[in-house]
Amino acid sequence: MNKIFAIIRREFIARARTRAFLITTLLLPVFMVVVSVVPALMMRGGDRTTLIGVVDGTTDGFGTSVESGLTAETLSSKPGATKRYDVRRISAAGRVDAVRDSLVALTGLNSSNHRETLDGVLVLADSTLRTGDAEYLGTNTSGLESMAMLEGSLSKAMRQTRLAKSGIDPAVLKDALRSADLKTTKVSGGRATGESGAASFIIGYFMAFVLYISVVIYGQQTMMSVIEEKTSRIMEVLASSVRPFQMLLGKVLGVGSVGLLQMAIWGATVYTVTSQRGRIAGLIGVSPDAMQQMPIPSMSPGLLAVFLAYFILGFLLYGALYAAIGSMCNSTQDAQQYVAVLTPLLMISFFATFAIFKDPTGGIGVPMSIIPFFSQLAMPVRWSLAAVPPGQLVLSLGLGLFALFGVTWVAARIYRTGILMYGKKPSFAEVFRWLLVK
Amino acid sequence: MSTPAVLIDHVTKRFSGHTAVKDLSFTVPAGGIFGLLGPNGAGKSTTIRMIMDILEPDEGRISLFGSAASSRDLSARVGFLPEERGLYKKMKILEHLAFLGEVKGMRVSDAKSKASKWLDRLGLADWGQKKVEDLSKGMQQKVQFAGALIHDPELVILDEPFSGLDPVNLQVMKDVVVEIARSGRTVLFSTHIMEQAERMCDRIVIIARGEKVVDGTVTDVKAGFGNRNIALTFSSGKEAAERVMADRALTAKVDDYGASAEVSLADGATSQQLLIALVNAGVGLARFEVVEPSLQAIFIAKVGNAGVAPANAEAA
Repeated sequence: MNKIFAIIRREFIARARTRAFLITTLLLPVFMVVVSVVPALMMRGGDRTTLIGVVDGTTDGFGTSVESGLTAETLSSKPGATKRYDVRRISAAGRVDAVRDSLVALTGLNSSNHRETLDGVLVLADSTLRTGDAEYLGTNTSGLESMAMLEGSLSKAMRQTRLAKSGIDPAVLKDALRSADLKTTKVSGGRATGESGAASFIIGYFMAFVLYISVVIYGQQTMMSVIEEKTSRIMEVLASSVRPFQMLLGKVLGVGSVGLLQMAIWGATVYTVTSQRGRIAGLIGVSPDAMQQMPIPSMSPGLLAVFLAYFILGFLLYGALYAAIGSMCNSTQDAQQYVAVLTPLLMISFFATFAIFKDPTGGIGVPMSIIPFFSQLAMPVRWSLAAVPPGQLVLSLGLGLFALFGVTWVAARIYRTGILMYGKKPSFAEVFRWLLVK
Repeated sequence: MSTPAVLIDHVTKRFSGHTAVKDLSFTVPAGGIFGLLGPNGAGKSTTIRMIMDILEPDEGRISLFGSAASSRDLSARVGFLPEERGLYKKMKILEHLAFLGEVKGMRVSDAKSKASKWLDRLGLADWGQKKVEDLSKGMQQKVQFAGALIHDPELVILDEPFSGLDPVNLQVMKDVVVEIARSGRTVLFSTHIMEQAERMCDRIVIIARGEKVVDGTVTDVKAGFGNRNIALTFSSGKEAAERVMADRALTAKVDDYGASAEVSLADGATSQQLLIALVNAGVGLARFEVVEPSLQAIFIAKVGNAGVAPANAEAA
């Protein structure tokens, strides 16, 4: 046991102490933060209060209702939210053009030189209420969303004034004009996930990608580590002290624990970023509300556990096979021929996740998330998108463990013979014969 | 003698197409230095790998310390320096040495303190935190050597330990080997350089083409071969000496170097007879010495061309 730990520790230190490990481990969280924070920062520009000058050429009080209508608009639907418009109404009946020109002169000025500058000027006339025609001159006229909002607010004020004029009770009016507010929640497999659809997709895709890449990268590392031991001939010293099975186990677990550490750091980062996004938003000066709108992948503790469990299972399955391949070869070039056997398996498991994105409970997704060699990507993705029956999870893990025993048995036999084989690479027939040696 | 350190009992190992070791039997007694000699390709490394349980014999039995357990299970008591040297290039020296101790079953703390002691002894104390790849080849050899000895094994098996060493390091290693033997432990080493074996070993086995040719203590082996060589150096009367040496009743073979010569006595002739004949002929002698046969000479005589013959001779 002590010997296995010595090998695990050596393998772990040899990998975790490298600069490459440090860089890749730090880079992904940084990337995560950038991806989630930068768009929020970008959107902050659009989500400020707009200062509008209203040139009120009306004589029937329509201008006042527009003013109150605009002033009532907020940046979000939350109580106590910031006002969307700051309105300066100037009564200008009969001298609309003059007032308009004088206000335009105050619009879009460099704010550092002037105490106050307008973002735009809205011109209302008596005819506006009848025809619906109004004029807006502003710095933000090319912002399609802002214009749609302004148009909407103006329309609302118009509707309200027109209806009030026809003698409808203001209380009834207010009630009738309350607009719909659609809250979307993803429901999957008969269960509300509590996430928006976009966030589910992002977390699922992100996990599939990370799992796929990490199995390939850490698998290759295991393989190259075995090849290094062979070419540096340290293998003989090890082989005389440690059983081949112990060597295989120590190596796979050693490399795997480095991978697990990295996954855990990443997982914890995602978890922290999502659970603390309000506070992070505060730190960078974005309203928590705007931050909440972002489709940041969120990771529940349950999902994190499933993710890590399937990383371990998947890595051990493929890691043992990569180690066995390493034992058969004397150079990385030699190894490519045998790796070509594993690559299709990994590719299929990656592409299977697309079927799951399409339908997590469909005829491809369900079997893929249960069959070993594919389930290590498919199951976490499926879990992130829909409720998985406990029976299927148990079956998937059980089959995975079963496959793991089988693969370890095969890998250990190949390893045992392979590690002391130098010279030409063995044919598949020869490798098959190694399996049968007592 | 107590139980032998190594017992090799009718061991045969075949690789596809050829027999590397054929019905080999010998015992390595506990204590002292044992030499496993033979030309390249004789089966020395294969034998050692079988002793270390890296390879399994096809036939026969190998036992260490009289135990039925495999040498891997006894590896805490055995130190091993393989013929092909190798270390993890990126590892720090001290950690590497400690790791080699740990896979032999040492506790981490013991392995660390032992490792720094060995580095001190080998003059590498300042290099402990350096990486293996920063060391010169000679230094790496020393580290590997220390790695084989770090857990104070009772039995040390060294495959070609002295090849590729400079004279200074060679001496360091030899001192270590002699010290191990002096402390009552056993050293088994293989070499194809007879000189080294002759000076260091108590007992030797010579194998050629996988078979044992000579087995015994160095003294016995030499005695058994017979002291039949005489070294001569002439001060005068070289012509007279040549006539005496040409007498086939006295000499079987003469290596004439001019001012000196080495003579093999003919069957039945004695060194006294040769000396009398030379003195009577008026030869001036600066040196007349009965020479022990060197292991080199015994080796050549016993193995002859057979050991050096190409490997495919058997297949042909």
